[in-house]
Amino acid sequence: MILDIFLGSVSIKASEVIKVFFSGTHSNLETIILKFRLPKAITALTVGVALSLSGLQMQTVLRNPMAGPDVLGISSGASLGVAFVILGFSRNISPDSLNGLGNWILVAASWVGAGAVMLLIMIISSKVKDIMTILILGIMLSGGISAIVTIMQYFSNETMLKAYVIWTMGSLGNLTASQLNVLLVSVSAGVILSLFSSKILNALLLGENYASSIGLNVRFSRVVIFVCTSILAGSVTAFCGPIGFIGIAVPHIARILFKTSDHKVLIPGTILTGGAVMLLCDIISQLPGSESVLPVNAVTSLIGIPVVIWVILRNRKYTGSF
Amino acid sequence: MKMNLTEILSLDALKIGFVSGKKENTLLPPLYARAGRGELIAVIGRNGIGKSTLLRTLIGLQRPLGGEIFYNGKNIKDYSRMDLAQIVGYISTEIVRVSNMSVYDLVALGRFPHTNWIGKIEMKDHEVIMDAIEKTSMGSFCRKYVSELSDGERQKAMIARILAQDTDIMIMDEPTAFLDIAGKYEILHLMHMLSSKSSKTIIFSTHDLQMAINQSDKIWLILDNELVEGAPEDLIIAGAFDHLFDTSSVRFNSEEGTFSFRTEEKGIMYVDGEGYRKRWTEKAINRAGFTISKEKTLPFIITPSETNNYWQLTTAGTVLQFGSVYELITYLNREMIRPI
Repeated sequence: MILDIFLGSVSIKASEVIKVFFSGTHSNLETIILKFRLPKAITALTVGVALSLSGLQMQTVLRNPMAGPDVLGISSGASLGVAFVILGFSRNISPDSLNGLGNWILVAASWVGAGAVMLLIMIISSKVKDIMTILILGIMLSGGISAIVTIMQYFSNETMLKAYVIWTMGSLGNLTASQLNVLLVSVSAGVILSLFSSKILNALLLGENYASSIGLNVRFSRVVIFVCTSILAGSVTAFCGPIGFIGIAVPHIARILFKTSDHKVLIPGTILTGGAVMLLCDIISQLPGSESVLPVNAVTSLIGIPVVIWVILRNRKYTGSF
Repeated sequence: MKMNLTEILSLDALKIGFVSGKKENTLLPPLYARAGRGELIAVIGRNGIGKSTLLRTLIGLQRPLGGEIFYNGKNIKDYSRMDLAQIVGYISTEIVRVSNMSVYDLVALGRFPHTNWIGKIEMKDHEVIMDAIEKTSMGSFCRKYVSELSDGERQKAMIARILAQDTDIMIMDEPTAFLDIAGKYEILHLMHMLSSKSSKTIIFSTHDLQMAINQSDKIWLILDNELVEGAPEDLIIAGAFDHLFDTSSVRFNSEEGTFSFRTEEKGIMYVDGEGYRKRWTEKAINRAGFTISKEKTLPFIITPSETNNYWQLTTAGTVLQFGSVYELITYLNREMIRPI
């Protein structure tokens, strides 16, 4: 039932978006909506779903309520992959002009970057159990990676640098049709894979020992989740830049809304909540009724950070916060 | 006499320990032990001797460094994780910390090896789950969150979880460690019921030797050089518990099945009286460092009876009366009465 209400609220928000678009313009209405607004809304939805799902999976697998693609440096890893493509190999090609194969190369580089960091975090997590230590390591990792990226920026030319800097600001609206296709295909793959992972994630709730004792092949499961999160977080980062705090905050919002730890409910719940929250962020970033547009990253941070702070404070008081 | 019919688990020259890098770190000499269907087996041993490692090896969380483990006559190596999970369930010392998880959901996790790829709970699974919840008398907690339960309730929910897993064997690492006395006995009673009524084989480690001796069908006593198994009484008669402590200040009293401190011998004393008053007075005198004399000698104590309600201590020169055992012992400790 809650699910139904929520589904409703998503569609309401989607229709609000369209309404805002209608009232804001008077000429070439159709072109704007179909060529610009609609793809942007679809992108927002996809990004919200992908980031939130990868956050949920990471939180459960790492048994760390503070895990998320951006916090642990997964997004940074993806950025590094992207930086290699934009600043390194493809001279004089900006991400806007990429198409077809180029887009796939960009995404693949992003997956590899995200995957490498995710692998590192998973290895460290299996040795170090302390949540805060992992977080600090994630921050260090992000720092190290951005240092490498800065060095690469230093040695690259102006147009490429500009393309990269704009990319890092995070944007939902700059995707070409073929980029949107690539994003949709890879996120769909990640979502389908994650639907298969609900049983695995439920088993992992009690920790790996218990998961193993009730019959889970823990190593195989880790690989599945690893691939899934890398695809989801990597694809989004490749085209929209590092978008913060959605991945970490939305799973917690979904847990509050659905009041369960069962991933059979949480996965669809997170998908819905993630899509809705990201659409909301997009609407806010439009500043309805005004001419200017906010960077979407600023909006997601403002919405996500209070949730994260709430989780930290609650984590001190109660046992566990999954 | 061999009883192969009921044998459900056997360890054959099992070597347990850790592998760090290429170095194998074996904790104990090869272990031999057996477990029968429906037996309640206590694993006893000093701290750090490898009780948890043994249990973890039995459940397949750690690889044996040598030797074999057989479940129903089939080597553990020939079981897949999923097959093993249908034979043996496990509760560790780890306290489960998950919020937003209801007791029902926790117990439902036990159905993991029985459900389809997405973990759908069918009607049959639901019945098994409700049955497990009823058996552990957690019915009224069904919709409560695990994070809201007390230690004892949470442990019962964990036991319900293995019940739902529907395994013949349950392995529990110190299931009563963090419980208060009431909780301890409730869990133990539950374990006892499950082994005797539902013929589950329960292997649990504990530090509470008294409880193990009183309640378990069998004890696996892990000593530094071997694993001794048998009914608690067999081990007492064989004097096995004497090896449990290296320190000479604690000794096992084979007569009573209890532990006592070796205190400085202060002499012998006779206690005159009947029934439980005599027995508890003797216990107190023992604790104060006196050996109980079998014959009436001096000094002696007369315990309260129908005609008097005080303890009377008679020594060579004096006769003293005390209103309680406490007063009597305090006096004995202070005066350090020398035997005559």
